[in-house]
Amino acid sequence: MNENNAKIVVVPGEVVTEERKKLGQHVYLHQGRIYSDCLGMARIDGDSASVVPLEGKYVAQAGDLVVGVLISEKFAGYTTDVNHFYPAFVSKKELPENLKPGTIVSAKVAHVNEMNELELEQSRVFYGGDLISVSPVKIPRVIGRNGSMLEVLKRGTGCSMLVGRNGRIWLKGSNVGLAIKAVEIIEREAHLDNLTDRVTSFLREEGRKAEAAKYA
Amino acid sequence: MAKKTGSEETVTYVDKSGKRLDGRKADELRKIKVEVGVIPRADGSAYVEWGQNKVLASVYGPRECLPKHLANPYKAIVRYTYRMAAFSVPDRKNPKPGRREIEISKVSGEALARAIFLERFPNTAIDVDVEILDSNAGTRVAALTAASVALADAGIPMRDLVAGIGVGKAGGHLLVDLNKAEEDAPDAVDIPMAILPNLGEVVLLQLDGLMTQKEWEESQKLAFQHVKKVYELQKEALKKKYAVEGNSGDMEAGARAAEEGVVE
Repeated sequence: MNENNAKIVVVPGEVVTEERKKLGQHVYLHQGRIYSDCLGMARIDGDSASVVPLEGKYVAQAGDLVVGVLISEKFAGYTTDVNHFYPAFVSKKELPENLKPGTIVSAKVAHVNEMNELELEQSRVFYGGDLISVSPVKIPRVIGRNGSMLEVLKRGTGCSMLVGRNGRIWLKGSNVGLAIKAVEIIEREAHLDNLTDRVTSFLREEGRKAEAAKYA
Repeated sequence: MAKKTGSEETVTYVDKSGKRLDGRKADELRKIKVEVGVIPRADGSAYVEWGQNKVLASVYGPRECLPKHLANPYKAIVRYTYRMAAFSVPDRKNPKPGRREIEISKVSGEALARAIFLERFPNTAIDVDVEILDSNAGTRVAALTAASVALADAGIPMRDLVAGIGVGKAGGHLLVDLNKAEEDAPDAVDIPMAILPNLGEVVLLQLDGLMTQKEWEESQKLAFQHVKKVYELQKEALKKKYAVEGNSGDMEAGARAAEEGVVE
């Protein structure tokens, strides 16, 4: 039924393929058939079958860059909300002194244990700017292949952006409103093709409008 | 409900032309409508209209399990709450959760737990809240149908969707999806079932009343046959959310997509 690389929306329990394939993400094997375990796009690349989820919570993996907000101070660090199952701990070692709750920090996930608890490292503080939330499963589309979409966003809006795998995006610059609009487009149309082109043309259009308004 | 005979005897549950009290055929479901993502602040949500039944389901989680003594370090727990609104029945229902609601919550939660990959989220809780806004028999299966769509909408990994269906007997006839009038027949048997349609597993089955073995085998067959329709509606509702939108809601995006189509 599926052609190679054909994208089909599947629901949990729907057959992805009846052929023998390697099991990728979000699929499971039952009586020789490969089923989807979530609402997503079925994908068959060569000899592996997988499903790219369209909904879901952030589940941390080692090496992820996350954006968090400090909740409270402890003796040696801060508890931080990283949009995960539990708050995480960031050490004071790498941070400047006297940070208040509500400060935005970024960190790398050093280790995730079998209980899904995080260890963070390489934390940095981000002063000012805005923080927005998008669905964590759509973050790969915000970044794009090799960061292509992120490059488009940064160049088109002139904002500095920090995209966390946990669905948090930190933005700073003169045109944050436009960047937020562009991210909303990405989130809404994440399952459609040619997204980078569409966002590029949207930003170009908006840029032209702004230019026109300047001289009007 | 046991009523005096005499008046009951005049009721024919399936007439000569094969029609029921409400005009359905013996193996016809009531009209079902499924909507996805009706509660924006919930992780997942669904609304189901099943005949006169109206059910609203919301899902939160997996999230930190509080109070912590309920958490299981090996898997997530499912907290299912089935509640009937005070105005969901002809006479006002006391909003305090009663024996019936607590029991339905327990068995329905266990039905969903079978479908979810709980072991992927140790120490967490998945909260499923289902509110019955209007009822006319068969609310627990409508509730489960809504809840499983809401779980899929929340992106929680599941083996299969859970589809519910009621089968039973009234006036000596085997029927699918009994309504209140049929459930009140003197010889009524009502069997709510929840099924994993692709895997063919039964995850909820309750039966009160008397049936012969043959009748039971026949009604089980009916359930498996007709649950497919419920499942198709669930599937359709979920896929509709991600059908190539563009033209739904956001005109600007549609126009942009169309424009690009012309360029290419």
